[in-house]
Amino acid sequence: MTEYFEVHARDGAARLGELRLRDPVTTPTLADAVVVDGGSLWGTDRDLPEGSEAELTVLPHRAFPAGTDPTVQDSFAVDYPDVDYPSAGVVTAETAADYGCDAYVLSNAQGVAGHGASFRDELIAVREAVPADTALYLAGVATPRNVATLVAAGVDLVDTKRARVKGRQGRYLTPEGEYHLDELDELPGAHPRDPPLAEFTREDCVAHNVAALEAELRTVRTRIRRGRLRDYLEGQGRHENWLTASFREFDQEYRYLEQRTPVIRDTELSAASEDTLNRVEIQRFADRVTSRYRNRFSNPLVLVPCSARKPYSDSQSHAQFHRAIGYRGHVASMTSPIGVVPQELECTYPAQHYDAVVTGDWTEGEKDFVATVLERYLERNDYPRVIAHVPGEGYRDICERVADRVDTPFEFTAVDHPTTSASLSNLDAALSGELKYSKRERQHNTIRAIADYQFGPGAGDDLFPDLRTTSRHPKLQVRDGDDTQLAAQVPQYGVLAFTLAGARHWAASPAPTKRVEIDGFVPHGSVLAPGVTDADADVRVGDEVVVEGPAAFGVGRATMHGAEMRESTRGVAVEMRHVEATEDNA
Amino acid sequence: MSQPSPEVYERGRGMDAHNQVMREIRAQKEETYDPHEPTRVWLDEDNTPDGVYRSLTIILNTGGCRWARAGGCTMCGYVAESVEGGSVAHDALMDQIERCLEHERENADDPADLIKIYTSGSFLDEREVGAETRRAIAETFADRERIVVESLPDFIDREKLADFTDHGLATDVAVGLETATDRVRHDCVNKYFDFDDFVAATVEADAAGAGVKAYLLMKPPFLTEREAVEDMVESVRRCAEYCHTVSMNPCNVQRYTMVDDLYFEGGYRPPWLWSVAAVLERTADADAIVVSDPVGAGSDRGPHNCGDCDDQVQRAIKDFDLRQDPAVFDQVSCDCEATWETVLDAETSFAMPLTR
Repeated sequence: MTEYFEVHARDGAARLGELRLRDPVTTPTLADAVVVDGGSLWGTDRDLPEGSEAELTVLPHRAFPAGTDPTVQDSFAVDYPDVDYPSAGVVTAETAADYGCDAYVLSNAQGVAGHGASFRDELIAVREAVPADTALYLAGVATPRNVATLVAAGVDLVDTKRARVKGRQGRYLTPEGEYHLDELDELPGAHPRDPPLAEFTREDCVAHNVAALEAELRTVRTRIRRGRLRDYLEGQGRHENWLTASFREFDQEYRYLEQRTPVIRDTELSAASEDTLNRVEIQRFADRVTSRYRNRFSNPLVLVPCSARKPYSDSQSHAQFHRAIGYRGHVASMTSPIGVVPQELECTYPAQHYDAVVTGDWTEGEKDFVATVLERYLERNDYPRVIAHVPGEGYRDICERVADRVDTPFEFTAVDHPTTSASLSNLDAALSGELKYSKRERQHNTIRAIADYQFGPGAGDDLFPDLRTTSRHPKLQVRDGDDTQLAAQVPQYGVLAFTLAGARHWAASPAPTKRVEIDGFVPHGSVLAPGVTDADADVRVGDEVVVEGPAAFGVGRATMHGAEMRESTRGVAVEMRHVEATEDNA
Repeated sequence: MSQPSPEVYERGRGMDAHNQVMREIRAQKEETYDPHEPTRVWLDEDNTPDGVYRSLTIILNTGGCRWARAGGCTMCGYVAESVEGGSVAHDALMDQIERCLEHERENADDPADLIKIYTSGSFLDEREVGAETRRAIAETFADRERIVVESLPDFIDREKLADFTDHGLATDVAVGLETATDRVRHDCVNKYFDFDDFVAATVEADAAGAGVKAYLLMKPPFLTEREAVEDMVESVRRCAEYCHTVSMNPCNVQRYTMVDDLYFEGGYRPPWLWSVAAVLERTADADAIVVSDPVGAGSDRGPHNCGDCDDQVQRAIKDFDLRQDPAVFDQVSCDCEATWETVLDAETSFAMPLTR
């Protein structure tokens, strides 16, 4: 059971946590001052340390360095006793398990840090074998340059050992490089306390390296708080190849990252490199649009280019398209890196949260991604025809590729630029004779489309066979025949939030639900992990969840993924929105 | 004395695991060797209880160590130098001796006074070197002053040693004790005998009028730099109570060994030459000759410092070997000494090696 560590916030696999010592410590951080080594059992037998609440005690261990054969690890592995003070066990992917410690130390970090694929495999194996609410400590490997990558993979504790040794060797470390003092003409990224180069000793180099590591950890913690560590890594990781390799390798392990990536958040997502295409948020949106969402309009599809302003409908260009279309076509925006955004989902995370670098030039990777999404979209959704109102270059190229592969006929209406009067009048003419859809149809289809996206294929119809909407996009309210409010569209994220009546309606409907079961109490405010008795494995941070127990029924938003709720003994699992007692004595 | 043998001691989970893994590693080696050629032979100078002698060192190819064939020591790649089939006949072994004598005749003006014979196993194990061969070799070198033969403690007995002492040869048995700490010898080195067996072997040698030279291994796998240094200081002191010479040798990374696997994956670094110097300096007052011959010094796979000072420190060690004067180490210094000190302080077994 974890008693001395708690995760407070998550950003993908990275966590902002707290080592709950006598003087609590915010992680990710340097462990030097708080870790005490109970010693190696390779050379001698040892008594169990007395331990203290003031420090994290590494229990006596037989550490297996990188390259230790699994057979040897298996026969020499030690068991860690239960202790009542903050403790850490030394493990590798081979030996990692729940030993009841608050933290785990990876003993072969020297071997895996530096190799993207081995680092990924080892980290995922260990992280998945130990409870989610335990800290992971990688000793002797952190540098200012690699620490963001270590943390992004799920590491909570690092130390200054490597930085100090490098300093003694006259190697000057920065978040972008490693320089030998003899080769420097000036000190890049010098800290205020660094003396000038002419007086700079190796002692100073040690101090500089430690300060640089501390500074980088402050950057990393800030990025986690803002939910923007990945954006940082896509840039900073470029300074060393294994770091870039590492986040690419992790992107290949979609399952691990997807489980840890929130489904909604109020954070800008910067699309500045082709690696952004592989982010969970992007892949998940594309996947849900092409496997869950269903078009309910019978009008032609009008493909338009995205706009820098979000949501798209707020932009000047889209206002012009809108005037020409006049509700006679179903609008979907084509964009890199999101793919295809149907009009109902233009507020849905991350459609209104990303900011892409726009030069007008598309890479082959971007074209291929968007074309694949569009093709899958058209395979799933029937349209009488597609009006591609897109500029030349990438957009047109993509549409032409897809037109060759699908049966739906394409016509192109833009000349030069889609906002020229000639183009807009072509668009208007192409839609002549099409019937307008009503505001009611538009609003109902929006709610159902969001439900599909959020809960699963068919969920819109399963949840809301009949519905009434009040208020206006993007703050629509969903009501039943008795005018009872069931849900509301959340404008910041473009998802639905249920009322208590709505949650009951959801739970009783054939639509897939995500459930968290709790002990016999009535949670007000939040559900803590120890109160969770079970949780669906597919629950993600940000998901709408039904919370149910012997004494209560309610609805809230998950702040942990499902497995984490089940494994954890500390931390907030669900932020409750509505709850009611279901027992008289509750 | 008790007679531990590889067979009865091959038990216990850790040893089973080490042996299984080492067998698999060794099986990757396919080369075989000509049984009529010695593995290696060279001329050198050695410090002995009777002063510094010119020496002829012979690595006899006997088919190798039986313990190694069971799996064996985690750092030892010498079994790879064995011959196919596992044993070498008397005539072939005598051919090897003749080759060594030729080498000596071609490269030295006079015969060496000290002969050292190693087999990468046990010269006194009659399954490696039969009694007939042992006696013939003793006869061959009867006119020299001193002889050293290598053996595990279990094969040391006074009758075998009498073959040499009867010729008036000052005889020493070189025993690969590796460390005085049983737990390290068992779990890190994977050697099956105990320090008590070594002590018993020194008693047996003494009864034949022979001496024992202990060979220690600095930094087997799984120990940090500081643990390795402390293990050696302690081991030198304990050995000095039982033998006149201690050869304290830093581990090097030999192919087809567990150490090589660790090294390849980034989990092992041979010791620093500063560590060797520190042990020699700290044990200079021990009542024994303490020497060290760092094989592969200065290379990545051998004991090394930063690359700039390796030759200098190695020379100081050689100087110490002959003169036993710790002042030789006052003459060497380098910036990397501070790095080594940081490693000693900061390296834990869950954070090693801290630097290559």
